[in-house]
Amino acid sequence: MFKKILIANRGEIAVRIIRSCREMDIQTVAVFSDADRHGLHVRHADEAYYLGPSKASESYLRIDKILEIAHKCGADAIHPGYGFLAERADFSQACQDQGISFIGPKPSAIAAMGDKQVARDTVAKAGVPVVPGTEGQGDLSDEALLKIAPEIGFPLLIKPSAGGGGKGMREVGSIKEMPGLLTASRREAESSFGDGNIYLEKLIQGARHIEIQILADQYDHVIHLGERECSIQRRHQKLLEEAPSPVIGDDQALRDKMGAVAVQTTRAVDYLNAGTIEFLVDKDNNYYFLEMNTRLQVEHPVTEAVTGIDIVKEQIRIAAGLPLQHQQYDIKFHGWAMECRINAEDPFRGFLPSTGVITQSLIPSGPGIRVDSGVYSGYEISPYYDALIAKLIVHGETREETIARMKRALEEFRVIGVRTNIPFHQALMENTEFLAGDFDTQFVNDEMPPFSGVQKDKSLPEVAALAAVLATHDRADRSAIVIQRPKRDSSNWKWMGRWERTNK
Amino acid sequence: MKYIADINGTEYVIEINSDTQVVINGKPHDINFQALSQHTSYSLLMDGKSYETNIYQDNGNWEVCLRGRRFNIRVEDERERRLRMAAGYTSVPKGKFSLQSPMPGLVIDIPVNVGDEVKAGQVLLILESMKMQNELTAPRDGKIARIQAKVNDNVERKQTLLILD
Repeated sequence: MFKKILIANRGEIAVRIIRSCREMDIQTVAVFSDADRHGLHVRHADEAYYLGPSKASESYLRIDKILEIAHKCGADAIHPGYGFLAERADFSQACQDQGISFIGPKPSAIAAMGDKQVARDTVAKAGVPVVPGTEGQGDLSDEALLKIAPEIGFPLLIKPSAGGGGKGMREVGSIKEMPGLLTASRREAESSFGDGNIYLEKLIQGARHIEIQILADQYDHVIHLGERECSIQRRHQKLLEEAPSPVIGDDQALRDKMGAVAVQTTRAVDYLNAGTIEFLVDKDNNYYFLEMNTRLQVEHPVTEAVTGIDIVKEQIRIAAGLPLQHQQYDIKFHGWAMECRINAEDPFRGFLPSTGVITQSLIPSGPGIRVDSGVYSGYEISPYYDALIAKLIVHGETREETIARMKRALEEFRVIGVRTNIPFHQALMENTEFLAGDFDTQFVNDEMPPFSGVQKDKSLPEVAALAAVLATHDRADRSAIVIQRPKRDSSNWKWMGRWERTNK
Repeated sequence: MKYIADINGTEYVIEINSDTQVVINGKPHDINFQALSQHTSYSLLMDGKSYETNIYQDNGNWEVCLRGRRFNIRVEDERERRLRMAAGYTSVPKGKFSLQSPMPGLVIDIPVNVGDEVKAGQVLLILESMKMQNELTAPRDGKIARIQAKVNDNVERKQTLLILD
């Protein structure tokens, strides 16, 4: 087993990985940029080393510096977390070349799945259904794409070849609006990934985004840990995930079938370690391969909750050459789990990111609650990295209990100093379609704009009006104290004169 | 002291009799109001019911966040209101609005020009920050008076980007 692991990441995921290492009695090494000297991952790790300036390209994306630190401190493995270098084949390769274990897949599998066109080709060959689009046709010009678009049919999606996380993605409703959207997509892809290549994909209407977690070891064992429902998204960024999916629920046959396809896809690229196969599922429960994420996912805790398996520990064991501890028939699902991503974004202002110092935070607790967070009271949220400040994960016996528990936890969650999207999640927990499990990937766009908050308690406006008046009154009181006559029986000028006489 | 609070045209006449007693639209209530942190977070007990609220000042108005909802509230005391009525205004006059950068970031696009008439909600500037492209919009109808930023500028928090008349 490894003695010391370097975590090439920051924020909540670095803290999450440190926790598993601690439980396995493995030493941990954090790296940090200028903006992150006060980061929680630096405080929790056994060792921490300075990496570089705040911009990710000068710190968390510097393969050379990270490997140099790993050698210097004697780390025998590197965990990349998610984002940054997690899906970079060259990083996995560089680790391998320099004799440091990379906790993740081999470079060849990252490369095969990283280019989405190659990925779709590979799985299509393995007999897995894919969504119609310009897959595997290389880098097409705008003219060529405009010509092909009507054959695929509208609405369709423009997607960056190198992308992920929804950046650069655009939805096209008609040929008329397409030229402008092509330009915008290429521009955003170029600035996010340094690669302006894009492709088209048919937009499956009413589709759900459902993904299967898999684990694969060096001994040809591949198992799946069931599905996660990730349809609640805004601008293709996931906001809430749950397991099981309300559409799959008790349909063990569908779960087994999708699980088997996920395992088959995994084998097709000779995959090692933890990964996720994303599917689009249409209204008739037809499923299409979307992409494979060759890393630990943000939402892995919901699977941990329902299976009881620590996925990060499994990742470390696999990378150390140990066989999987579980066979497929050992995997049992217990209850229902849900994760709300708490972002420093103001839902009342178009989800505009919010930066500043968290002056106070109260983290929910009690039965069935887990909070993975990278922040604390006094922590400053910088504009350099993403807006995720915490993940609130709730586990209950049933979906109803889980939702009731989530409502309770969201009400307990207090973050003061920056705006958060907690009010959005609270509104979601009151939405009847969401409660019924009846939603698709367009749900947040279609059902919840413009966001105006929970509409329930009729007496709230009066209470709010009173609060505003009391705040006004309070401020007037305080300014009155400032301009009050001094409590001494003589004027400040006299005091000043006396002070000068006695001190000169 | 008597105040008038206005939420989207609905008025609440609120009289503060003491630290523990107020009258809202003629009805008395027992209250207890305590600041929890730096005067943005407050605990309010009203007739025994417990509320926690965040209150921010926003362009002279109050923004009250309460149980997952947000209210924009204008508060005046009686004197301010009498003065305003005497001056012949029916509502607070609209001044210039200066669009300030809510955070440090990179200007990606400015899809308006000086002299353009814009509608409330129209995109004025696209700012990249926290790995996202964010659309900054007009809070009300108006005319672009000045633009003080350029595409590809790195801007600081609170930096004035453009001015709306």
